Amino acid sequence: MDDGRQRAEKRREVGISLRSPAQNAGTENPASVGTTPAVHAEALVKHYRSRAGLVEAVRGVDLVVEAGEVFGFLGPNGAGKSTTVRMLTTLLSITSGTVRVAGTDVTREPDEARRRIGVALQEAGLDPRQTGRELLVLQGRLFGLATRDASARAEELLELVELQDAADRQIKSYSGGMKRRLDLASALVQEPDVLFLDEPTTGLDPASRLTVWEELRRINRLDTTVFLTTQYLEEADQLCDRLAIIDGGRIVRQGTPAQLKAELRDRQGLASDPTLDEVFLDATGRSRSRVAGDVQEVSA
Amino acid sequence: MTSAWALGQRALREAMRTPEALLPTLFIPIFFLVVNTGQAAKIFPSASTSFLEGQGYGAFQLPTSLLLAASFGTTALFLVEDIEGGYFDKLRATPIPRTAIVLGRLIAELVKGLVIATALVLIALPFGISIASGPLGFVLLIALTALWSVVFAGFMQLIALKTRSAAATNSGSLIFFPLLFLTPNFVPRDLLTSPIEAAATLNPVTYLMEALRSLILEDFAWGRILPGFAVVAALGALMIWLNVRLIRQYD
Repeated sequence: MDDGRQRAEKRREVGISLRSPAQNAGTENPASVGTTPAVHAEALVKHYRSRAGLVEAVRGVDLVVEAGEVFGFLGPNGAGKSTTVRMLTTLLSITSGTVRVAGTDVTREPDEARRRIGVALQEAGLDPRQTGRELLVLQGRLFGLATRDASARAEELLELVELQDAADRQIKSYSGGMKRRLDLASALVQEPDVLFLDEPTTGLDPASRLTVWEELRRINRLDTTVFLTTQYLEEADQLCDRLAIIDGGRIVRQGTPAQLKAELRDRQGLASDPTLDEVFLDATGRSRSRVAGDVQEVSA
Repeated sequence: MTSAWALGQRALREAMRTPEALLPTLFIPIFFLVVNTGQAAKIFPSASTSFLEGQGYGAFQLPTSLLLAASFGTTALFLVEDIEGGYFDKLRATPIPRTAIVLGRLIAELVKGLVIATALVLIALPFGISIASGPLGFVLLIALTALWSVVFAGFMQLIALKTRSAAATNSGSLIFFPLLFLTPNFVPRDLLTSPIEAAATLNPVTYLMEALRSLILEDFAWGRILPGFAVVAALGALMIWLNVRLIRQYD
């Protein structure tokens, strides 16, 4: 049995997904010691044609995400984060390079890869005219569950993300935070080995953000690898075991938050550890004044 | 087929929760039936117009209204919403066959087509329109209309998948006007002027309209009925193939 299947089996054995969040609060699963990386991308390239000509969105990304990690993928707007995530999740064709997710080649066996991954993209991909429960039951059925099993799984997930009270309301009436939590739940229907989240807290108020963070920690404790893109460096610092920073379609830094800070401190001879913001600005060749200028330009 | 049916049920729920999108598909065809019949019924009195086979002009016009009802393709606008809102990507990230993604909406379109066509014919019956081919003919009439709604929805979905734009998809529906009016919709084909007759002969909707009309006005005339079914079978297969191909290539 491979690592992914072992983890899924383990989750079923301990019945974690059947428990309420309160019951789960004290559960600490040991980190996975699997040998197959959760994500392994080699020389990943994406080119496409636009009206302006050839766009080299991703220019040779190499990534290894170990099973059980929370991996942060950071970068400025347009750096190639979302494009990379879409390639890793079978949603975008790959110009060249290879990607294996949970040991499965996403190009050669896309359906097998899809069974092993959960995806929540930037635009909480929900159908506003369905209820939360209907959406989760449908998602379960699309992953091969019988209707009764899909209904039971939906109930577990609604409990997990604390949306039982709103379960039978149409999603169009949900707040932004509720939609994010439901999107997260729908990405967990099939108990994925790897959960991909593209900016899961963008646009959320601080309280909703903290709720999503707590959900992610809980999901990760169940041995699900989390691959997270975010523009919030504090979020990356709080949640991620390791980080990669992408800029201009290339990985420019990779390591644990502590390693990245220590590297900058040593290189610049700083008296104390820099913040992750400073690591990010250094890695992407930006300065605070330039970023401030960019922000003003965008907001105008 | 399990996945396709699950997605079909979802599309049906969507339709039931947006009656404002469904009602025009009934009211506009009724409007055209009343107006067209009212304008031309005196020109074509049933007693002296052989092509009416003893019925009123409304019976001759009913196929036009049925085809109009089946040619709204509103499902494609919901597909654009799915694309814009990210739900389409959510579906693409599931391990279901791409065919199921296409068939889901088309199954719902078939069900909606059956309901709307049945309602339209039942509304027409009290106004002196009868189905000369009997109960089986009634079933074939409804089935053929509903199958056309699947073909047209498939065509509209192609535009939605290609353009990913609600405005472009909406504009795409305008193609139905030349398709509907370059047909023998007011008189039989042999009474059309030469250029229009030539255009109508090339237009596949003509054979569909003639099949529907035959089921209303005549006892089973298979020579006119089967070409209609052949048109929807051929175009339906083409639309499904093109839709699946587009989804497989979708980036």
